[in-house]
Amino acid sequence: MEPRGSRDANPSRAVEKVVILALRSGVVLSAAIICLGLAMLIAKGIFSNQIGSGATPLPPRDLGALAAGLGAFDPGSVVTLGLVILIATPFARVAVSILAFALERDWRYVVITSIVLGILGASLALGKSLG
Amino acid sequence: MSMFLVEFSQLLVVSFFAGAVGSLLGLGGGIIIVPVMTLFLRIDFRTAAGASLIAVIATSSGSAAAYVRDRLANIRVGMLLEILTSLGAITGALLVGRIAGRTLFVVFALVLMYSLVPTGQKILAELSHKASSGQPGQSAVSSRLALALRLEGSYFDPAKGRTVEYHLRRVPLGAAIMYMAGLASGMLGIGSGAFKVLAMDSVMGMPIKSSTATSNFMIGVTAAASAGIYFSRGEIDPFVAAPVALGVLAGSLFGAMILPKMAGTGIRVAFFAVIVAISVQMLLRGIRGG
Repeated sequence: MEPRGSRDANPSRAVEKVVILALRSGVVLSAAIICLGLAMLIAKGIFSNQIGSGATPLPPRDLGALAAGLGAFDPGSVVTLGLVILIATPFARVAVSILAFALERDWRYVVITSIVLGILGASLALGKSLG
Repeated sequence: MSMFLVEFSQLLVVSFFAGAVGSLLGLGGGIIIVPVMTLFLRIDFRTAAGASLIAVIATSSGSAAAYVRDRLANIRVGMLLEILTSLGAITGALLVGRIAGRTLFVVFALVLMYSLVPTGQKILAELSHKASSGQPGQSAVSSRLALALRLEGSYFDPAKGRTVEYHLRRVPLGAAIMYMAGLASGMLGIGSGAFKVLAMDSVMGMPIKSSTATSNFMIGVTAAASAGIYFSRGEIDPFVAAPVALGVLAGSLFGAMILPKMAGTGIRVAFFAVIVAISVQMLLRGIRGG
């Protein structure tokens, strides 16, 4: 089971680096997109109206509506895109961890981490079907 | 100024304070922002919880990077226990629609009160000038399951000037508490750090520094499991979630970097008292309704 007979209790630097990169880029990217959406809202002058009272389209709830909203340059959809990226950041973190554990040949943790990713994926399907 | 702009800036400012006070007291931003939104801004509980989950993901992802770099977080333990926390979070998010609003307030109040215990103990220790004593109950050897799953770990402690090695035990009990932590997270829109730390520190015997770091590392995944459900149910309002996420994130960065240098025990006692008062108000709102 022990591939290289290593006594190192912590996963290697490679795992840590990809995990850090996934987390950082996700947060920075989403914060930037949220700010862009808010800037678009100000630019459109919608701040003088009530949101959600017909002045702007309702915020998208699924990726199809989100894509349509983005195509129409709807600020609410841009903000939502930022939020979706933020929600996706932990997903990405788990996904890159699978690769990182595979590179380490730590197959047990490849399986464990895949289970976590599977549960996260199932949560999206459940939200859709029961929502 | 339009109502929208007023509400937006109100949320931004309030969330900034929630994030700052939270990190100053060692609590998550979520556990402070949800009561503030529901009690004072009169925002619907599920909208508040959805927005809070987004803020929880942002702060966890933002701070986890630092903990991983410092090698305090145990990635294997985190990954293994995330199976339980994410299952719990899904259960919580699905349950929240079936539970009466008043019950949610009562449960929230109790969880908040429990979360305040470690902070209260720390402040008491500071007031009586006692250095926190060493941890009881750490194990010299791993249990069979912990050994098979390679859950042992080590980190460098600058205060002690040496590397601390630790071994874990009672993994199934820790995992059960993790499920409950996930349940609270998905139902209440919080990170449930207090329960996660309890499972690792008090039950499994992980040093408190590693427990806290690993908990922070796990919180984002737990929150994402329920945030996905809230999102697809249309319960994440972008114009509530955006200011809350940005505000809490900025506030917690401010609280982590700048406040500790400025704020002495006195200020922390004052904030602590405010949060205790808020928890009582949450309880009353649940009991009386309205």
